[in-house]
Amino acid sequence: MEFQRARAGIVLGSLVALVVAGCATGQKSMGPADAVAERQRLMKNVGANWADIQNKVKGGNPEGVAVNAEAIGLHAQRIPGLFPEGSLTDKSKAKPDIWQKWPEFQAAAKNLENRAGTLRDQAVAKDAAAVTTTVATFGRDACGACHTPFRVPPPQQPAAPRT
Amino acid sequence: MNRRHLKTGIVLGSLVTLALASAATGQSTIKIWTSDVVADRQRLMKLNGASWADAQAKLKAGNAEAVAVNAETMALIATQIVGLFPEGSLTDKSKAKPEIWQKWPEFEAAVKNYAMQADKLRDAARSKDLAATEAVAKEFGRQACGSCHTPFRVPPPQQQAPAPPQQLQPR
Repeated sequence: MEFQRARAGIVLGSLVALVVAGCATGQKSMGPADAVAERQRLMKNVGANWADIQNKVKGGNPEGVAVNAEAIGLHAQRIPGLFPEGSLTDKSKAKPDIWQKWPEFQAAAKNLENRAGTLRDQAVAKDAAAVTTTVATFGRDACGACHTPFRVPPPQQPAAPRT
Repeated sequence: MNRRHLKTGIVLGSLVTLALASAATGQSTIKIWTSDVVADRQRLMKLNGASWADAQAKLKAGNAEAVAVNAETMALIATQIVGLFPEGSLTDKSKAKPEIWQKWPEFEAAVKNYAMQADKLRDAARSKDLAATEAVAKEFGRQACGSCHTPFRVPPPQQQAPAPPQQLQPR
């Protein structure tokens, strides 16, 4: 009888706790399809800001890239949160390695944030030479450092020539 | 004795379930921001202002298409604003008005409106139609920024009363 009561208590407590937890996190729950759509939207804007950076440098306006670098840096902070475990649909180009090597994935996102911060600071300091140097290696060191291990390459990109 | 067992059971069950629930949702609550929410939202809104300034400069140069990236950046920023105004986050460094929390649904609606205006600007820019983009941009400051800043932000002092020129001279 005592045992039964304790059991009833455990069940009751669990149910209440589940409801409370569900309410507390309700706003943040994200289905796989939502996560994929949201991160693809975010990454497209990262790519568009990167294209804008390249255009500005080519157009002789290296100081103007600060706003784009800051946007990339702020977006980078959101990346890990948009890859909840199991959010791998057929529309996603994410590799399962993301979740197998989660700390490395997080570090790669942080690397993007840091490099974008460097680029922003150089642009704010109006150091055109430094901006140009950072931009020259950004594609490989910031984008590629995460895309190479963690993203299936898009088919339209030609394979890098073997040397 | 019976009641004690029931109580112990409730506590035990709650704790275990809460621990399981927080482990299961751990990834969705990844920490993005610092512990200083006022600094975080000011950083976010500064990027907003800079994106808008960049968009205006591009429009002046007649490059409507290039405005799309800035408008989409603003639309993405808009999704983060509400979460950065937790109740009671009003420090002496903040220009937020307490009205935000007194009229929370209106604040949420103002942010939503801002996101929609940014979408509109982005779509106009993507259509490469300079006149259409300029038409949205012309109203943007008042309709997108102003409709939230006027009711919910203390105006920055330098915008209210420009200092007389003689005060800017070095002594």
